[in-house]
Amino acid sequence: MRLLRQDMHALTGAYALDAIDRAAERERFTRHVNGCSSCASEVRGFREVATAMAFAAALEPPPAMRAEVLAAVARTRQVPPEVRTHARPRRSRAWVPWLSGAVAAAGIVIAVLFGFAQAHTQHELNTARAQDQSLAAIQARTVRELDQARNQDQLLAAIMAAPHVRVLSQRSASGGAAVVLLASVRHQLIVATSGLPRLPAGKVYQLWLIGPVKVVSAGLLPAQVSGQTAPVVASDVTHGDRLGLTVEPAPGTRQPTTTPIIDLPV
Amino acid sequence: MNPSDPDASRFRSTSTDGRGERDLDDLLIYVARGDQAAFEAVYDRLAGPVYGVVRRVLRDPSQSEEVAQEVLLEVWRTAARFDPAMGGAATWVMTIAHRRAIDGVRASTAAAEREQRNAEINIPRDEVAEAVEASLDRERVRRCLDGLTEIQRESITLAYYGGYSYRQVADLLKVTLGAIKTRIRDGLIRMRDCLGVS
Repeated sequence: MRLLRQDMHALTGAYALDAIDRAAERERFTRHVNGCSSCASEVRGFREVATAMAFAAALEPPPAMRAEVLAAVARTRQVPPEVRTHARPRRSRAWVPWLSGAVAAAGIVIAVLFGFAQAHTQHELNTARAQDQSLAAIQARTVRELDQARNQDQLLAAIMAAPHVRVLSQRSASGGAAVVLLASVRHQLIVATSGLPRLPAGKVYQLWLIGPVKVVSAGLLPAQVSGQTAPVVASDVTHGDRLGLTVEPAPGTRQPTTTPIIDLPV
Repeated sequence: MNPSDPDASRFRSTSTDGRGERDLDDLLIYVARGDQAAFEAVYDRLAGPVYGVVRRVLRDPSQSEEVAQEVLLEVWRTAARFDPAMGGAATWVMTIAHRRAIDGVRASTAAAEREQRNAEINIPRDEVAEAVEASLDRERVRRCLDGLTEIQRESITLAYYGGYSYRQVADLLKVTLGAIKTRIRDGLIRMRDCLGVS
């Protein structure tokens, strides 16, 4: 279905008020605005109207909020400016979409996930990292010998056997990568990592489920063995969550205090 | 960066209007460099509107506080991404705040709860009286909203303060989707002119 340009233009108001709830429609309109300078300037003006409406609604925040925010600020790392280059667009994640339960059951194994039990693959993995292979290659390498791993753990086996298991992965800016098996129907996922930087004493890697409202700890990564971490299962994953990984002081924190090095929409 | 920097006074607002856009833009540049004193000044200027708009949309005080905190922390975290060419600092922050509040609404499964709010779609005037500053903004916005047609005013307040999508607004007001898009846009054009937004 194509919208007429006139129709499209009429959406500037709803867009500026965040009143377009369908993601696809919003994204289409965002693209339209990027190529339409009169729309962009109209949206800017409307956002200023909205800002005046926000100021008109100002309320005294709870008194404790100031100290809490300032304390959080003092322990939160800032993101660097976006340095624009003409390099090819960065793709932060690679997909093996909708790896079905049937395929999983056919005997695919996540060797990186279970590297702790698969010492013989270690050499290969080191080689792969040394060659700085693409994320897809690291992921593909991890997708192996599933039967052995699932025999070791009933919970893992159950998650892997769920219908529509998806495999996601993301390279961390600080080195290494995370591979995630997502079983949406069970609201569970399995995370394992490979090649993350070694942490100084007193620091741990902590996983988070980052929702639109709440951030919930999903546990700590176990210590690395040969550069890999054993699988961690996270439950109560809801649609729209992101999986984050941060470096925190041991033994972990209630809320993240640093910028995630992995931030993967699940 | 010491938060109790005695030099923090250099960031105190000298502007007399409620928003002092120019100052805020400058402050954010310092915030982007990790200046916590500058952030405190930003907080003191924007925490009220941030909390107010989030609370207006979400209603629940504790959820609102949580979201407002996230928004303000987000401002600190991503200050380096603020681009003055895309609009003023206050607008940047309020856009983040409103969007986060809307995310909260749309993630909420308590749809039934929201239905009950249909009855109270107009801005409760006494709630406005709780506002931090008896600001110029409040009077101007009220006056400009009063200058709209009823359907323009309702569609804008439902969408912005009520957190409804334009589809939901169309449904509530019993008009077509095409009509509601136009009403929102026309209303905002009038508001823009009335508020003297460039």
